[in-house]
Amino acid sequence: MITKKYFNIIILSIIIFLLVSIPISAKVDIGGELAASLISIIDDQGNITVYPQQSLDLELFLPTLNNTQAKFEIYLFNNTMSGGFDYLIKKLYLKHKFDKLHLTLGRQPISWSFGSMLNPVDFTLGAMVMDEETGAKYQDAIEAYIPLNWNSSVLLVAAFPEASQYTKWGLRGRTMIEGYDLTLNYVREPEMDFMGTIIPASQRVGFTAKGDLGPIGIYGALGYYFKDNNDGDLAYLIGGDYSYFFEAGNKIYFQLEYLSMKKENLSSILGPFFAGNATNNLNENIGLILGTANYEIDEFSQINLMAIPSINDGSIIVIPGYRNQLNNNLSFNLGTAIYFGKEDTLFGSDVSEGVQQKPKGMITIGLTYSF
Amino acid sequence: MQKIKRLLLVGIVISILFLSLIITVAAEMTAEEIINKRDNNEYFDTAQMEAEMIIVSGSRKIIKTMVTLTDKKNSLVEFTNPQDRETKFLKREDDLWMFFPDAEEIIKISGHMLNQGMMGSDFSYQDVMEADKLTDLYDFEIIGEEEIDGRPCYILEGIAREGVKVSYYRRVSWVDKERFIGLKEELYAQSGRILKETKANVIEEIEGRWVPTNSVMENKLRKDTYTEFTITQIKFNLEIPEETFTLQNLR
Repeated sequence: MITKKYFNIIILSIIIFLLVSIPISAKVDIGGELAASLISIIDDQGNITVYPQQSLDLELFLPTLNNTQAKFEIYLFNNTMSGGFDYLIKKLYLKHKFDKLHLTLGRQPISWSFGSMLNPVDFTLGAMVMDEETGAKYQDAIEAYIPLNWNSSVLLVAAFPEASQYTKWGLRGRTMIEGYDLTLNYVREPEMDFMGTIIPASQRVGFTAKGDLGPIGIYGALGYYFKDNNDGDLAYLIGGDYSYFFEAGNKIYFQLEYLSMKKENLSSILGPFFAGNATNNLNENIGLILGTANYEIDEFSQINLMAIPSINDGSIIVIPGYRNQLNNNLSFNLGTAIYFGKEDTLFGSDVSEGVQQKPKGMITIGLTYSF
Repeated sequence: MQKIKRLLLVGIVISILFLSLIITVAAEMTAEEIINKRDNNEYFDTAQMEAEMIIVSGSRKIIKTMVTLTDKKNSLVEFTNPQDRETKFLKREDDLWMFFPDAEEIIKISGHMLNQGMMGSDFSYQDVMEADKLTDLYDFEIIGEEEIDGRPCYILEGIAREGVKVSYYRRVSWVDKERFIGLKEELYAQSGRILKETKANVIEEIEGRWVPTNSVMENKLRKDTYTEFTITQIKFNLEIPEETFTLQNLR
C-alpha cells in the first residue's frame, strides 16, 4: 500500500521541518536509558548459556509549538540472533491538539492498559505483559482522540501493521461512573502474514472496569473474539490489588488476578512467557492465576515475586526479582524466571518433538542508567 | 467624702479589671480562628509550583524534580528528573490517575495508593496533592503553647472529622503566633502511633503570604530516612485553563 510505504518518510520529513523551524532559543533535550545486562539461560539438562545484552533508548524532547508536538524515540540493542546491533523506532509522530480533537500521526505506542498484569482486550494482544512492554505496542497509525468531558473520550485508531497490507481498526470509548473507570472497545485485525504463516482477519470487542471496593482496588475485563462461523470465544479477567503496611513502616503490595480464555488466543497475550506449547487442544479453555507481591525494603530497594500457575495442567512460572536504585540515575536489576511443568504442559520445559525447546530458567542481572 | 473617694477608687479598679478581661478574651484566639488563619495563609485558589524532593536514606540520596498545578480541589504533578521525566499524576477529589510516558497510557490508580510514598518519598500522594482546607477535614483544639526555633507557637490538635477520608487520623500542629504558618507537625494513626513528623526549615514571604519553601518530612516508622521538599518557584492565584485537570491533558 502506497499510504503505508510512505508513511514514515512523510512523518520524518515533517519532524525535520519542525526541527529546522524551532527557534534557537527553544529548549530541545535528549534523554533516555542505557542498559547493560547478562542473561543466563538454563536448559532442561542444566546447561547454562550466558550472553551479554546492551541497549540504548534515546528520546528527543521537543517543545510544543502551537499545540503541535513532535516525538522521536529510538531503541538500539544488540541482537543476539544476528550477532549485530539492531534498532526499533518506538516513536516518530506528530500530535496536534485541536479544540475537540487530538490527532496523532506516525509511529506511536498504542496500548489500552487498565491496570491488570495481562490484558485480553488490548489493541494489540501482548503489547504489555506483566507491566513490561513488548515491540508489538509500537504501531504506524493515525489516532483520533475526541475528549467528551474531563474523564470521557472516544478514540479511533487506524494502524498499518508490518505483517499486513491492510489496515487494522480500533475504537475505544472511556468514561467514569461512580468512581469506576470504564472502557468499551472494538478491534478489527486484518489478515496477517508472519513469515509465510497466514493468520486470518478477526474481530473482537472488549469491556474493562477499574475502581475501588473499600481498601481494595478491583478490576475486570470481558472480551469476545468473533469467529467466522457466527461463533465466538469468550475471555474474562478479574483481579484486585491491596497494600499492607507493616509496623516498621515497610509496605507490601499484592496483586492477584484470574484469566480465563481459549488456549489458541493465549499465546499472543502471554508474549515471551509463552514459548509455544499451544500445538494441541487449542480449543481448551485455560485458567491462569497471576499473583505478584512487591515488598519495599527501604526507599531505594524492593523485592518482588510473581507466579503464574496454570490451573489446567499444574505448570507454573515463578519470577522473583530485586531492584535497587543506586543513585539518581543508576539502578541495579536482578530478574529470574523459573519454569515448572511436565511434558507438553503450558509452562513446562519438556515439549513434544518438533516444538522449540523451552528454557528451564532464566537469570538476568544488569544495570540501567537514565539520563 | 472619703467614702465617696473609696467607692470611686473601687469602681475604677473594677472597670480596669473588667476592661482587661474584655481585652484578654478578644486577644485569645480560638483553635478554629487560628487554623482558619493558617488555612488562609497556606491555602490558595490556584498555584503553580516548581519543587525538588530529596529522598534520603542513610548516606544515600535521590533527587526528584517536579512541576505542580493546584486549585481548590484538584492537582496535577509532572516529574521532570531524567528517570521519571513526563510521568504525570492527576488527582481529582479522591481519584488518582497516572500517565505512563513510555506507554503513553493513563491508568486509574487504586485508592489505597493515595497514602503511599510518592515516587519513593516520605510524602504521600495525598500529602503533596491535598488541596482541601484543614478545617474541612479536622476538628481542632488548642492544647498548649511552645516556642519553636525562638518563635512562639500555638499547639493545636486536629482529629479527623467523621466520614471524611484523610491520611492521618490525628495531627498536632505548631502554628507560628505571628505568621500563622505551621512550623512543625506530628501526624498520627488512629492507633495513636506517630507516623510522620514534618518541620518547616525555611519560610519566605511570597506574594504577601508566608510560604514554607523548605521542609523536611521524617518517616517516624523508619530509621535514618527523611525527605526534604524545596519549593524553587511558586506563583499564586494565576489563571489555570479549564482543561488542565482532565484526562485529555495528561496525554
